[in-house]
Amino acid sequence: MKNNIWNILKKEIREMFRDKKSLTMMLILPLMIPLLVIGMSALFEAQTNKSASEYNHIGFDYKMSAVEKDIAEKVGIKVIHGEKDQLREKYKRDEIDLYITREGNKYTIHGEKNDTTIYATALVETYFSSYKEYLQSEYLVNHHVSPEDVVNIISVDQKVIETENFFANYITNYAFLFIVMAITVSATYPATDTTAGEKERGTLETLLTFPVKSRDIIVGKFLSVSLSSFITGIISLVLTMISLVIANDMFKIYEKVNLMLPLESFVFAIVVIIAYSLLISGLCIAIASTCKTFKEAQSALTPLTFLSFFPSFIAFMTNLESSTLLSMIPFLNFTLLFTDITSGNINYLNILLMFISTIIIIIVILFIIIKQYKSEKVLFN
Amino acid sequence: MLQVSDLKKKFVKYNSKREKEEFYADNGISFQAKEGEIIGILGPNGAGKTTLLRMVAGILEPTSGTISYGNLSFETNGIEIKKDIAYLSGNTKIYQSLSTYELLKMCCDIYGVDKGLIETRIQEIATILEMNSFLYNRIENLSTGQTQRVNIARCLIHDPKYYILDEATTGLDIISSQIILNFIKEEKKRGKTILYSTHYMEEAENICDRVIMVNKGIVIKEGTPAYIKKDTNTTNLRDAFFQLIGDENNEK
Repeated sequence: MKNNIWNILKKEIREMFRDKKSLTMMLILPLMIPLLVIGMSALFEAQTNKSASEYNHIGFDYKMSAVEKDIAEKVGIKVIHGEKDQLREKYKRDEIDLYITREGNKYTIHGEKNDTTIYATALVETYFSSYKEYLQSEYLVNHHVSPEDVVNIISVDQKVIETENFFANYITNYAFLFIVMAITVSATYPATDTTAGEKERGTLETLLTFPVKSRDIIVGKFLSVSLSSFITGIISLVLTMISLVIANDMFKIYEKVNLMLPLESFVFAIVVIIAYSLLISGLCIAIASTCKTFKEAQSALTPLTFLSFFPSFIAFMTNLESSTLLSMIPFLNFTLLFTDITSGNINYLNILLMFISTIIIIIVILFIIIKQYKSEKVLFN
Repeated sequence: MLQVSDLKKKFVKYNSKREKEEFYADNGISFQAKEGEIIGILGPNGAGKTTLLRMVAGILEPTSGTISYGNLSFETNGIEIKKDIAYLSGNTKIYQSLSTYELLKMCCDIYGVDKGLIETRIQEIATILEMNSFLYNRIENLSTGQTQRVNIARCLIHDPKYYILDEATTGLDIISSQIILNFIKEEKKRGKTILYSTHYMEEAENICDRVIMVNKGIVIKEGTPAYIKKDTNTTNLRDAFFQLIGDENNEK
């Protein structure tokens, strides 16, 4: 029995590695990961390190005093004067980033909310805070009160330690989510080819005439598809690690963080990749083997592809945290465990539960496929 | 000896009103095939020949009836029986991305050919079928005739006792067809039992020891070509077949 599984596996591997499309799916997708990591990091950095000159052109519809001009200069505002209507037009033409109007002691900031006005508003608020402080101090001096006693009545020091880097978390989670996607896509093509494809090409009939048990045929096919998705997963993981190390050195947003995973995390990431590769391969073969043609199988597998991404996206977007129960829910558990692993919170029990539940599901799936292959419907449905 | 008794196969189809309809592709077929005998299974398209041969080859499960090879039956010895069978049909395709050598090696491994004999056996078959020039080429790069020789080699490699050939010459040119017919004659000389289905009556008349004529899932005549021609008072199997169909229709 073992020999026949090996014979079928050898045949499948030969076919898979000689098929350009299977190889492309297996190897090309992981190459997207460095592009994703470097590209997104560059985007984040561009947004974070926005030059002040991109948002400091502020319009004023009133004549500023020497003190106001001085404060504006100190906080980095480039002052543009004009009538309210003129300023509105300039704003529309993007010549200024915000404009301020005054009626007595009431100042109003005008603008439409976007990336630039968020930065410009923060700048203007700093300006008004400083100007207000100046006016309050002046008032107190005129009334013979020391401003130091009133303005600095309390002092606040910040000792907030940055334990998590938002960008680092975001980019690593995204990269690992992409690994899941790459494994899924990598499993679909060989699974389709080895079942529906073989049926369509007429070689399944040949295979069924061989003195080989259905169980051996299915296990051989299952292992070959799992191998394909596992290879994709490992290449993706290695490329993710390399990209993260490069990004770590390349971008200031990761200045105080170490994006390189420790060895233990790397090992457990491989465990999750193995489990996911086995699960998705089993599911893909189960679905594709009910189809008559390659095209039909591809259509049938599309919902599975979405189904595999969907829980991962939900977990990712809602910052869901892993738990004993969630570790046993297929698809969701892989993303949650990846998040745990990348953040260094490895929970051995959760990983064990994920592995056991996945193995149980795979056994059930294989049992169903073997039953399908014992029935003549697999060939003549 | 191959013994087929009262073999039936029921299928379900849907009619134009999307209602289920059951029908028998084969309805009580029985015959025997001895060592060194070529049995022709003749009939038009849809007669039930392919279903019959697929059941005999163990690809399809009969609805009822028995198939036994010597004292072995599929219910209990499916894998053992398949080791002694070679199945080749017009629809049988082989793995295009493998080389001839790899395919034959795989077949040897699967059929349990003694490891020490595998190389000798492959070289022997390659010489018999004149495949040495393309033994290590991928099958996808071979001509139709060469591919057909590889298909025959696949059947020969484990030296089976029984050959089940289902319209193996259909769609082939005259040279490729001749390769198959020569192969059948050679194997008969070696004492192999051959079931050969075709709708080419002349072909069957030339090579078959006995003929089983099938129509609509039942045997309408069985015997040597000479007997059938004499019994139907015709000069060839084609005329005999049409006469028998006519008789059958008249009886109904």
